[in-house]
Amino acid sequence: MQKSYRVTKESRAVPLLSAARPVINLGNVSLGPVFWSALMSESAHPAALQKDQQFVPRDRESFFDAQRRNRRATWRLAFLCVLAVLVMGIPLALIVTPFLYAVTLLAADILNLLSPLPAAFWQQANEVSRFGLIAIHWLLNHQAADPEALALGAAVMLLPGAGLSVLLWVGMNGLFRNAGVGGALLALKARDPNPADLKELQLSDVAQEMAIAAGLPAPRVMLVDAPGANAAAIGTSPEDARIVVSRRLVDDLTRDELEGALAHLIGSIGNGDLRIAFRITSIFETCGLLAAVINAPFGPQSRRTLWRIIRYGIGGSRKDDPQEAAAVAEILARGVAMDTDDIDRMFDATRKKSILRSIRDFILFPIFFTNTAIKLSLWFFSGVILGPSIALLWRTRKYLADASAVQLTRNPDGLASALQKLSSDASFIPGGNWASHLFIINPGTAGGGSARPDSRQQEILARAWAASKRDAVDSTGNPAPADFATTVREFTAVQRAAFSGDAKAIERLSAARQSLSALDPELASQIPDIADLVAARRGDRAAIGRLQTLRKNEPGKKDPARDAEESEGMSSITFLAFHPPLKRRLKRLDKLGAHADLESADHKMWILTAVFSMIFAPFFVAIAALFLLLIAIMALSSLAFLMIWMAFIHAIFGFFAHR
Amino acid sequence: MRISPELAGIAIAAALFIWIIAAFNGLVALRTRVQNAWAEIDVQLKRRHDLIPNLVEAVRGYMQHERETLEAVTRARTQAVAAAGGTVQQRAEAESGVSVALRNLFAVSENYPQLRAVESVMLLQEQLTSTENRIACARQFYNDEVMKYNTAQSTFPRNLMARPCGFSPATMFTASNAERASVQVQV
Repeated sequence: MQKSYRVTKESRAVPLLSAARPVINLGNVSLGPVFWSALMSESAHPAALQKDQQFVPRDRESFFDAQRRNRRATWRLAFLCVLAVLVMGIPLALIVTPFLYAVTLLAADILNLLSPLPAAFWQQANEVSRFGLIAIHWLLNHQAADPEALALGAAVMLLPGAGLSVLLWVGMNGLFRNAGVGGALLALKARDPNPADLKELQLSDVAQEMAIAAGLPAPRVMLVDAPGANAAAIGTSPEDARIVVSRRLVDDLTRDELEGALAHLIGSIGNGDLRIAFRITSIFETCGLLAAVINAPFGPQSRRTLWRIIRYGIGGSRKDDPQEAAAVAEILARGVAMDTDDIDRMFDATRKKSILRSIRDFILFPIFFTNTAIKLSLWFFSGVILGPSIALLWRTRKYLADASAVQLTRNPDGLASALQKLSSDASFIPGGNWASHLFIINPGTAGGGSARPDSRQQEILARAWAASKRDAVDSTGNPAPADFATTVREFTAVQRAAFSGDAKAIERLSAARQSLSALDPELASQIPDIADLVAARRGDRAAIGRLQTLRKNEPGKKDPARDAEESEGMSSITFLAFHPPLKRRLKRLDKLGAHADLESADHKMWILTAVFSMIFAPFFVAIAALFLLLIAIMALSSLAFLMIWMAFIHAIFGFFAHR
Repeated sequence: MRISPELAGIAIAAALFIWIIAAFNGLVALRTRVQNAWAEIDVQLKRRHDLIPNLVEAVRGYMQHERETLEAVTRARTQAVAAAGGTVQQRAEAESGVSVALRNLFAVSENYPQLRAVESVMLLQEQLTSTENRIACARQFYNDEVMKYNTAQSTFPRNLMARPCGFSPATMFTASNAERASVQVQV
């Protein structure tokens, strides 16, 4: 009795396992040439959503409760973000302020030379420097100081830098508020839907339905003809929000799934995520602008950037050009990343320099420390403190949007299966990297996922499949499958049988391959031989080698240089992704009533991760402490050099002024 | 510092007054949202009323034998248009009649594969399907808003001031028994 039970269980488990795996894994070698994996990943979806799941009591949560919980979490994390900005701002202000004083002193000295400034001004300057020195003494020598003077000293040391940052931030907000979304849409090459196309009509219909369910003005829907399947809500407010959907997503998802995906985006708009995203971007852009300002004396690159911003800000012919705004915003968002090209060029010893240039370099030398200290602290704090807390905040918004989508559709299964489908497929959208956080799932980088046969290739594959049916296993006279979907279904079934060792099925597959090579040799060359696959599963080295070369020759692979350039985005600023992992999203949707297929075998992985992080945590803390120390040293040396420089310059000017 | 009783009384009265204003305005905002949601349902119902004659005309040629089904749709529509001025309950009844008739029509049209080849019919059907969904969505939104409005009215301490200030619970747009019954298809 017991034995027979076990047998049935296994026979049921094996085909499901092989069907649910999009790419065949052999040790650490992943084998999945283009069409093979495309065929298999498509067949994986029906198995992923099993309706006949065994009933287990789950702790359910209503979507209203989930929303409330996520809103509360948003407040907590927003507080954390503000704290992170403050923590990041204090060292930054400490570094920027002396620099500002130096610039002011230089300007005052030059002015003084032309027309003597009143004595009161110099007295004021002396007072300021005295309070600043009190603060420095207290900080470095632990010298006691009365609280009032200390507070004044701290204000002297912090306020100008903080004020400059806030001013820059406000300026950035004002500058890009008017820019709108036009540039982003141009970068994505978005187009209006075609109302004569049934699928695209359905898309805009579903968007309007969801907008009605959310009680929002219907956002404009635009389409992108991109190779990936993804969708995003883009804009600065619910009024000018656009929903950008790739054509492939429209083709791939059923109406229910489309509803879920769009409800996620519209729910996100309704929750005010666009404004939050705008704020987040502006923080990073301000950091980039600060880096550009500090870099300006050294490099033509940052000077060009600054010049572009100024020209854009002043207006003129470029004010109406939305593309310019998007380009500038993108440059700034990338500015936080440490690029020292300009500095390197400056201190490149191998380059010939004129005497004038050497003098200039000597004069600018202290600023080098300021520059590096600012960049280092920007990079460190935005990557370690600000980035993760903002990423956590954004993840909460994603969960909230998922819960809102369930409220709008009352169908958690739609969104769950849409998420599964999208994340098992290529989701990269060219030109959308700067806004990767606005997409429903992480767009990833180019070249990820598998290529999909286009309609012509689909037809050829279907024809080849039908032809092989007549050749090999002479059927009972069924009509040959005409469409691709039937082919995929049959192919999956036969493939399963082939892997479990059915000789007839293997024969059928090789017959299909033969008829395919008769129809289109090029296409056939991209599909691995079934005999090889079966042999590779048994561990045949030669077969594995053949499959590997096939994989290497796979067309459609991008060159790595382009990949690196494309992967620049908001998420690259921090090591924490802006999108929650699929598994966790599905788990939460499962609580809201979805029938997602949650693998329960990964709790061991969780323990492993925990153990590893326990072991490595001290190292990370040590590295962070080292970085902090480095930043402190840089900041102090910047301060010291600036002070010497100021004294020097002031003395020279004083000498001239007395003459 | 001693606070005189008069001053304390005035402060409490002022706080109460401000709270009443805030609560009143909150309820008014909710009521406006409910009215707005109701207007949205109205718009979508109107859209359906306008689409139905087109659909009936488009499919009449192909569905000669389904005169009864088509007439039922037209009749239900006429009733719904007539009920447009009535109460929420009356309208819900009449509109659910239209929904049932349309669902019957779509179910029957499955028997006519040649309809699928006609693009205009497919587009019309998509529009009607979408309109059905929109009505459902608008109804869902309306009911959510009514729930919020009614909860706000009946929870303490706002329930003390809701009635005297002229707020009354709104009615939900519920599915009728006719709509809940499964579709009967005669083959």
